[in-house]
Amino acid sequence: MSPTPDAASPQAKLWDLGVRLFHWPLVVLIPFSWWSAKADHLDWHRLSGYVILGLVIFRLFWGLVGSPTARFAQFLKGPGAVMAYLRGAAAAGPGHNPLGGWSVAALLTVLAAQLGLGLFAVDEDSIEAGPLSHFVSFDTGRAIAHLHHKLFWVLAGLIALHLAAIVVYRLRGKNLVTPMITGAAPAEPGVQVPALAPVLRLIPVAAVAAGLAWFVAHGLKI
Amino acid sequence: MTRFKAFGPLVCAGAVLLAGAAVAGLSGAEAAKARMEHMKGLGAATKAVFEQVKTGAPDMAVVKLNAAKIDAAAKALPTWFPAGSGQSAEPKSHALPVIWTDKTGFDTKAKALAAAAPKLLAAANGTDPAAVGPAFKEVGASCKGCHETFKAKDKD
Repeated sequence: MSPTPDAASPQAKLWDLGVRLFHWPLVVLIPFSWWSAKADHLDWHRLSGYVILGLVIFRLFWGLVGSPTARFAQFLKGPGAVMAYLRGAAAAGPGHNPLGGWSVAALLTVLAAQLGLGLFAVDEDSIEAGPLSHFVSFDTGRAIAHLHHKLFWVLAGLIALHLAAIVVYRLRGKNLVTPMITGAAPAEPGVQVPALAPVLRLIPVAAVAAGLAWFVAHGLKI
Repeated sequence: MTRFKAFGPLVCAGAVLLAGAAVAGLSGAEAAKARMEHMKGLGAATKAVFEQVKTGAPDMAVVKLNAAKIDAAAKALPTWFPAGSGQSAEPKSHALPVIWTDKTGFDTKAKALAAAAPKLLAAANGTDPAAVGPAFKEVGASCKGCHETFKAKDKD
């Protein structure tokens, strides 16, 4: 057991503000979305969903224009790299290893799908419904609502795996939580971390994401 | 003979049940399925009206058409729940046993819809589109008011 002395070793700036500000609200919003639906507070549930929608839209854009470690092109590797990593090869490059990268993609995809379903879902009395539900029939909206309920458990399963992985890494001496809060992680020998994107770049990307989420929340009407 | 004291009442009870089913014209499971279709129709009609209310400038033709459907359904609703058409006859039904064990309570809820639906129809046929919203709210509240107690929640 050789825990990395985080405080002693030189730190590298690994995770930018964008990925961190995206990640942590979800820790509250996803359980809140689940609870608010269970407790029949569907107005709060929709509001929570709209915030998550804005965050996910932001993350999708940020994955194109954010810091290198935030970009999908940087951490999504082909099957060869994934297999090599699984066979014990060291992860090349900073940030996510090939498996971690694809787990991020899986979480984002299922979360986006859940949001997509929620937008069109119709509750049993047809009074509580997603902002785009007027584009579908009552029957379709009900079917979508049932799918939305079921898909939550897929998301929950992926989140459970995510948490389990973090625990396993911790038991092996690698703290993944602190870097996700501070953005800084112990520098790995021989691994060069590219400079993060300027913080100001967050502003236009966040503004566009918020605007799009608002537009969708209003049923695609200004 | 006198040994089979229960026989008489049992035969009578059986006859009453059969008569009830015969009047309804459907088996318990068939009545349940028909009811589920009726409820879907009601849901589609309320969806249509609510979407118009949400626009702020309701299309009165759409509102009239669907308010009439809601009113007709409200009048027929008490006949959709013959004895023996619950979840034991049709597992997919969301009709809880309490509908038949608390007839008074259920009837009160059914009456709430029967009272709200004509008001919506009147507003739909009226000259003030702004009256549709409040009238619909009462209909919606009656849907929820009954479902809260008498409809099974989805298992997911």
